[in-house]
Amino acid sequence: MEANRIKFSKDILKVDPEPEAERICQFIREMTFGRFKRKGAAIGLSGGIDSAVVGELCVRALGKERVVGLLLPEKESNPLSLEYGLKQAEKMGIQTIQEDITEYLMPLRVYEKRDRIIRQLFPEFDDSHRFHVTLPQNLLEQDRLNYHSITIEDRAGKRQVRRLSGKEWLEISACQNVKQRLRMIRLYYHAEKNNYLVAGTTNKTEAEQGFFVKFGDGGVDIEPIAHLYKTQVYRLADGLGVIREIIDRPPSPDTYSLPVSDKEFYFCIDYGLLDLLLYAYENNVPRNDISKALNLDEQQIDRVFRDFKAKEQATWHLRAIAPSL
Amino acid sequence: MNDVETVKAFIVDNFLFGESKELEEDTSFLETGIVDSTGILELVAFIEETFGIRMADDELIPENLDSISNVVNYLQRKARTGS
Repeated sequence: MEANRIKFSKDILKVDPEPEAERICQFIREMTFGRFKRKGAAIGLSGGIDSAVVGELCVRALGKERVVGLLLPEKESNPLSLEYGLKQAEKMGIQTIQEDITEYLMPLRVYEKRDRIIRQLFPEFDDSHRFHVTLPQNLLEQDRLNYHSITIEDRAGKRQVRRLSGKEWLEISACQNVKQRLRMIRLYYHAEKNNYLVAGTTNKTEAEQGFFVKFGDGGVDIEPIAHLYKTQVYRLADGLGVIREIIDRPPSPDTYSLPVSDKEFYFCIDYGLLDLLLYAYENNVPRNDISKALNLDEQQIDRVFRDFKAKEQATWHLRAIAPSL
Repeated sequence: MNDVETVKAFIVDNFLFGESKELEEDTSFLETGIVDSTGILELVAFIEETFGIRMADDELIPENLDSISNVVNYLQRKARTGS
């Protein structure tokens, strides 16, 4: 209700990068040295914008000698993720540890179990194929429900698409989530042996809509950017000196062998519009004000808000402490 | 059982765990949070198996799936068109 007093516009999420960065740095220092009594911070560098920004903030807050960057690719990661992660770490001047987590995933038979599900749909699916999972992208255009589709691509670039059943999606998702959970285990291993804390890289857009893995990338000690929408993270990135390759790269979960964007996989609209609508949704901005500022009709706004509510309801437990009596 | 009873029994058994008090024929599954997006896909699988039809991607819309009435109306439309 309070936000109704502020005029809603496309500029509503503008942040002044320098004071905001300083505020976060103070938080990181207070948490690391004051509350947690740790010597530094460990960060998983994914080659994406969020971890690059958190890395820069930790370096500024704690000093580069107190920050360690973990690079944890697996055999299906986009090679650019490692390349950009290393380049960002080198630019920051921090110590890096590189581990290919494929060797941890293989004994858990994660790939094998997941591929067995995929082969039930596409018997020809093998190591020569790549795949990803997407949601329908027409969120603004028509009333529809979210369902997951799997796309496989062969070496010649030929693609096939099938809708997944609920059971198939849950099994594939459970396998994929092991990747983030293993990264969490490796992050804590390296953090604890150095008496460091683990700095998380989830932003507000992801946190509110449940776009992270419980006890995976959500398993951290502090969340320095969880109060910032994704577009605000981009605004900080420039001033902090994040490398251009990362700023220009389309955001991706990078857990599927066939590249897929965050929009295609989860959000269904671009971050620029998504963040403004999420702000409006959370702050009960009147439909009329949203419509005028964003040039959307009320039906389009309602469709997006229904999607927000569905994701919020389905993922409440990711944000909650485990309930108990 | 008629179609309404069949769909209601599935929803009650799978999503309300036997508790049917809050479920009317026009109760929105999504608005009330009775069924989430994964649950909707379970409902689709149930409809396809029970009624022997294939739901196309463009039929996965609230108008066809978001309440007992919507599902039954969809089934009736499908029976009429025979597709």
